[in-house]
Amino acid sequence: MYSSVIVPRQWTRFTCLCRSLTSVEGQKLPQNSKSSDGISPPPRKPRGPTDLLQALAATVGTDPTAAHYKYHDDPYLIPLSNFRKRSYALSAEAGRKAAAWIRDEHSNLFTTREWDPPTKNKTPYFNADPRIEAFAPKPIYNDASKVTEQDLKYTIQNALIDDSITIFQLLGGTSGVSEELKLQLLQLLCFYNEKEPESMEWLEERWFAANTRDRQAATWRLGGLADQIFESMDPKTPEAYCAMIQGMAKYYQAERAHMLTMEVKEKGIPLSTGVYNSLIGCVGFLREGTTLRVEALRSLLAEMHEQGISPNDETLSACLRSLSAWGGGKILQQMALSIVAEFRRLDIQPGLAAYYYLLCLFCKERGPRFDILSTIINELEQKEHLEAKEPADTNFFITAMGVCSDHLQNITMAERLHALLMKGDNYKLVGDAYKESIYYRHYVTVACRHASFEKTLELLDTLVPNVYVPEPSVMEEIIKTLEVGGAGDRLAQAWSQLVVFGHSKRARLVERLLDAMVNTYPGQEEEVKSKMRAAAADMLSFGQMTPEEKEMKDIRSPVQKLSATAVCNIIEMCSDTQDKADPLWKSVEVALQRLRKEEAAGVPARPQALADVAKKAAAVGLPGIAATAVTYLAECGFEEAMAASVHVLGTMLNRPEQEVEELLSQGQSALVSSLHPAAMAVAEAYSLAKTGGPIIQESERTSSSSDSDSDSSSDDE
Amino acid sequence: MSLFIRNYKPNSLATVYNTKLWRLNSTTTDSALKKDEEEEEFRVLDILKKRERFQRRVVRRTDIQPDRADRMATDQNWGNVWPGPKTFHPSSVPLPLRQGYVPKGQAPPGKKANAELMKIPNFLHLTPPVVKSQCEAIKQFCTEWPSLLNSEEAIEKHYPVEVITSDYCHASPTIRNPLARIVTLRIKLSTLNLDKHSKDKFIRLVGDRYDSTTDLVTITADRCPARAQNLDYVNYLLTACYHEAWNVEEWEKDKTEDDMEYYDWNNNTSKKALVNWHLQTKNENRTLNDDEYKAFDTSEIPYAEEYKNAVSSWFNDGESDATVKNYGEVVRKLFGLPEKK
Repeated sequence: MYSSVIVPRQWTRFTCLCRSLTSVEGQKLPQNSKSSDGISPPPRKPRGPTDLLQALAATVGTDPTAAHYKYHDDPYLIPLSNFRKRSYALSAEAGRKAAAWIRDEHSNLFTTREWDPPTKNKTPYFNADPRIEAFAPKPIYNDASKVTEQDLKYTIQNALIDDSITIFQLLGGTSGVSEELKLQLLQLLCFYNEKEPESMEWLEERWFAANTRDRQAATWRLGGLADQIFESMDPKTPEAYCAMIQGMAKYYQAERAHMLTMEVKEKGIPLSTGVYNSLIGCVGFLREGTTLRVEALRSLLAEMHEQGISPNDETLSACLRSLSAWGGGKILQQMALSIVAEFRRLDIQPGLAAYYYLLCLFCKERGPRFDILSTIINELEQKEHLEAKEPADTNFFITAMGVCSDHLQNITMAERLHALLMKGDNYKLVGDAYKESIYYRHYVTVACRHASFEKTLELLDTLVPNVYVPEPSVMEEIIKTLEVGGAGDRLAQAWSQLVVFGHSKRARLVERLLDAMVNTYPGQEEEVKSKMRAAAADMLSFGQMTPEEKEMKDIRSPVQKLSATAVCNIIEMCSDTQDKADPLWKSVEVALQRLRKEEAAGVPARPQALADVAKKAAAVGLPGIAATAVTYLAECGFEEAMAASVHVLGTMLNRPEQEVEELLSQGQSALVSSLHPAAMAVAEAYSLAKTGGPIIQESERTSSSSDSDSDSSSDDE
Repeated sequence: MSLFIRNYKPNSLATVYNTKLWRLNSTTTDSALKKDEEEEEFRVLDILKKRERFQRRVVRRTDIQPDRADRMATDQNWGNVWPGPKTFHPSSVPLPLRQGYVPKGQAPPGKKANAELMKIPNFLHLTPPVVKSQCEAIKQFCTEWPSLLNSEEAIEKHYPVEVITSDYCHASPTIRNPLARIVTLRIKLSTLNLDKHSKDKFIRLVGDRYDSTTDLVTITADRCPARAQNLDYVNYLLTACYHEAWNVEEWEKDKTEDDMEYYDWNNNTSKKALVNWHLQTKNENRTLNDDEYKAFDTSEIPYAEEYKNAVSSWFNDGESDATVKNYGEVVRKLFGLPEKK
């Protein structure tokens, strides 16, 4: 009875096996996704562990209103200036670093079970399941730790330079380690020049690190551990020689690298392509003068050919790097082009780094224009996606945009380049924060100068402020564009942008903005005008806060003062209202006070504007403001003061100008008794402008002219 | 303004201003003094410590940008703004939302600083267009549905066994959840190849795992730590029960009428009585043994089938108005009596 049961069971097991085999096979073979008989499920389509996530992520585009996702999405926490962007991101990372430090320092808390009774041995326990190696505490090695070759292997594989050196010493130095491990350690030391590399874990630090350009100086550690290990190795393998030469060449110890190469050649030890690449990279340090250097480069390439070593794309970029480092000139450029052509015949296409060196070689700041960028972009546009192969690749986009902006001054090329950067996954090639910022500086500048107004606005809307915060020079460029385009509301907005970007203390920029606003003001609609007036008044009050703060905080650096012209511009815009009760007159008054107290640098460039303001104020019924304006004009000695004062007085007293002039020619005493104090002030200004001195006798004026007159006059009473 | 004029006119008018100012000052100082004195004289015992709260100076940052919801274009792609599940944030959602307790005569609280909106899970990341685009994006990984499985019946026919497991996804260091090990197997009893005996035995074997109203057998296993083990175990249980149901043991023949789980009319005296009555009406005087009674074909008796069903349902379903009434009608038919009026 049981036998009859067993057979079908075996049979099912067999079919089950068959099914699993087909499914395994099916994952490898290209297949149609249809089921064979219409009933059984079709074979599974093969996919990687993250393919689904990536497909979903591809549906999400960029949101121009949002900050980068590493920042909190909250108006209080979205950084708007470059300084804030940097400090917010680095603070978050500092928190992560602190957590990592605690994890490493108190690793027992994370690897053992704390709830075991105290008498028992703690059992190892990881609360993450499956265990995540990247989150696990890193082992700490010091002089007391007991280490084995296994530890050395671990540290070498994870590129922990300092730890591996410690372990190497603990294991007994050159004598206590096997030859194979010694070679591995030597390679590691040569690659990093015995210096701990920046950790890959801290993305933000790498992003904001200001290592703008690697120094081309011999930084190779002479007589270091690498040299010791190399000396101790016996017999010295070709790999060891290669590592040594490459390390020396990478850190610009060209002489020694060359000498070692000679030695190797005499011994007849074969060298690798990498060695030749690094030798090509530092060949310029051995010779002086372009012709000699080019000769040396040629001979190196010829040597490679003799040895039967095939070049790769790094050879090409190393050649071009050397050429671009030797300055410019016809010879080098010809040489570079011929090298590129020859490599193309070998089916080695130049990468981004090679293009970067070509751009460096051809597009000099001062020099004839070369339009090699268009051909480069043509080629790159045809590629499906760009791959990062060497560190210099990230220099390509920033340099190319610089060429678009300064060398070619071509907006269409810039747009094509930007589209290329935005395509697919290419944005990773932008480099770091510094490079990104320079890239956008070039892009915005060239757009402001050469693109149509609408396009520029569109670009600014998408970039500023979340992707890019304009530097003062770029801001000036933007203001210029807005002025030419006559966009009044944008200019009013630009003021608030200046405030949030932290440029509002730069007087030159504010003055430039005020100029632009005054120039565009007349043609605007009423609504826009009121916005611009509000912005102007805000500028005044923003500037005013500084002296109070100065008293409170004792600021060392001098605050830049706005020029009188700028203040005058503010007055001009704020006074453009017919309503007597408008609060803007208050700011006009304040601005005039500032002019009189000489808190503004220089004198106004257009006194006529102030005279107009005085007339308008008088007409509206604010004699005080009119009087102040006229008096200021008179004190500064402008000719407009006289005509203005007559006009203002005429409006105040509601009499024709001739009569007013007659009145003014009368004696002082008569005026004093009959006139309103404001009108009297205007009359005084008139005489000041006319005679260059006051009407009232010196003896009477002494107390009034000084600033402390209020006290003295009250004392008189 | 007065200040400015005083600068220029130290005469009569200025003095007026000054005196005015002076008076103003003096009054203020006087009142202040008085206040002090009053406080000096009548000190209030502040039992509840209801001190006047100091107006704390609110330090407002000047460079706070307006909500980004204000700057959003009306034709934007919402999926880009809100790509994943996230707590509600008023500055990013351009909707005039209101939620919370409504005070009398007021509108519900707005979206800013509204804990009610933050507490509830929102589905802002799963708007219909987003769902659509995500479905389009993952379509490339899907295979075609088998063409013959075009109806529920077809699916039930070709895939009678249903295995139910649960997967759990939560934010914690471990991806394991003990509940994920539980495996439930469901199958319709009618889809199993069973005869009358084996079906009866199968039902007895599975016990309360069989639901007679839905005809479903549900086997759940959670005794093993891993799902695969439980799945194996469930399959084993089903297989074992099935084959065991087909086995007929020696002692099963000893089953008597008392052991019957239901009323079988054929084995009972009701049939005997009917057969006897039938034979008497035909004037056949035969004596039959038990087996002959059981094997007697009642189809030749008119209304015997109905009578059988009526009696069986009375015993199997229990006595109720319907069964009794049905029995009465059938008996009238059987005896040829007129129907009840």
